[in-house]
Amino acid sequence: MIVLGILEPIENVLTDILEWLHTSVGLTWAWAIVALTVAVRIVILPLTIKQIRSMQRLQQYAPELKALQQKYKNDKQRMNEEVMKFYREHKVNPAASCLPILPQIPIFISLFYVLRDFEKEVFPQFPQSELGFLNNLVPDITQHINEHWSGWLLLVVYVLSQLFSLMLSTTAIQSKGQRYVLLALPFVFIPFIINFPVGLMIYWVTTNLWTVGQGIVTRRLYPRPTLEPSKKSSRTPAKQPAEAKPAAKSPKPARAAVPEKAAPAPADGTAPQRPVRRRKKKGPRSRR
Amino acid sequence: MRHLAVGLVRLYRVTLGLLFAGRCKYHPSCSQYAIDALEEYGVVRGSVLSLWRLLRCNPWSHGGVDHVHDQRLFRSHEARPAGRTRRST
Repeated sequence: MIVLGILEPIENVLTDILEWLHTSVGLTWAWAIVALTVAVRIVILPLTIKQIRSMQRLQQYAPELKALQQKYKNDKQRMNEEVMKFYREHKVNPAASCLPILPQIPIFISLFYVLRDFEKEVFPQFPQSELGFLNNLVPDITQHINEHWSGWLLLVVYVLSQLFSLMLSTTAIQSKGQRYVLLALPFVFIPFIINFPVGLMIYWVTTNLWTVGQGIVTRRLYPRPTLEPSKKSSRTPAKQPAEAKPAAKSPKPARAAVPEKAAPAPADGTAPQRPVRRRKKKGPRSRR
Repeated sequence: MRHLAVGLVRLYRVTLGLLFAGRCKYHPSCSQYAIDALEEYGVVRGSVLSLWRLLRCNPWSHGGVDHVHDQRLFRSHEARPAGRTRRST
């Protein structure tokens, strides 16, 4: 009840936007929902780009993080804290921030109510308007998902798009268990979702597809540094004991790894490596 | 009231939290932080702390480990001498 009261202004705004998209822009209701979704995502686009970039930057630190995880394998709590500390030290953090999620929640819930009462409250004011979608493949977006086969089709599209977007957003450092839980989610939601209005599903599918497209585009634009060079650089210079210690403690090996990619020539044997490492500890940047 | 607030956060965690499926950049996550804060500081100050945390959890922050008992906005319960009223804090 309280929630409904709070969300009412948002519902009104969303209704107004939908009506405006419908009457002034001339979109059908379904496309109006798509447009609304895209607008929301465009607003938060700068935030998402930032997140994706830092996710990719993390790739550089993958070996060290692996070492950290190995070290605290038996203590999840401690491992989390250490990993977080590591992120902080290196000013990189692949995880999403909570703030950008915040505005999406009321919009999502309000849209749910708007679409639920659409038939009663909005539609009667626009008697001739079309409720179908994609040449009437979906005859009525206010219907529940389980009322028509197109709803089920949308459900499949939803699950696929959700899986895709989750796969794009999971990071290398997440454990397998976590990843499986995430991937199981869309299926867990199915029993609840089938009673949702189709219009809401359109919102959801759109937002997922947007995420997927975004992931693909950013991967093109900023290709991930491939794992191979960083593996090589962390393996070739170090005899095993030497590698284990700095990886857990300090940022140095990562910095060492980057320049070695740029200038791979000098390090062939084991002999020259000790001086190289010492130099880096003292002050890598000033010397170069 | 406190239980209601904590309940709401827990409800979020099992429904929408999963749905939006992000991982928070802080440890403990924002929702866990909110639960801790509400339980430790009550609805009003707990909410303030949670909101402040949410604001900090933006794309320009670096995240990290951040427990409720490390907060410095309110005087912690242990530190406050018995008998003092809230107003004095």
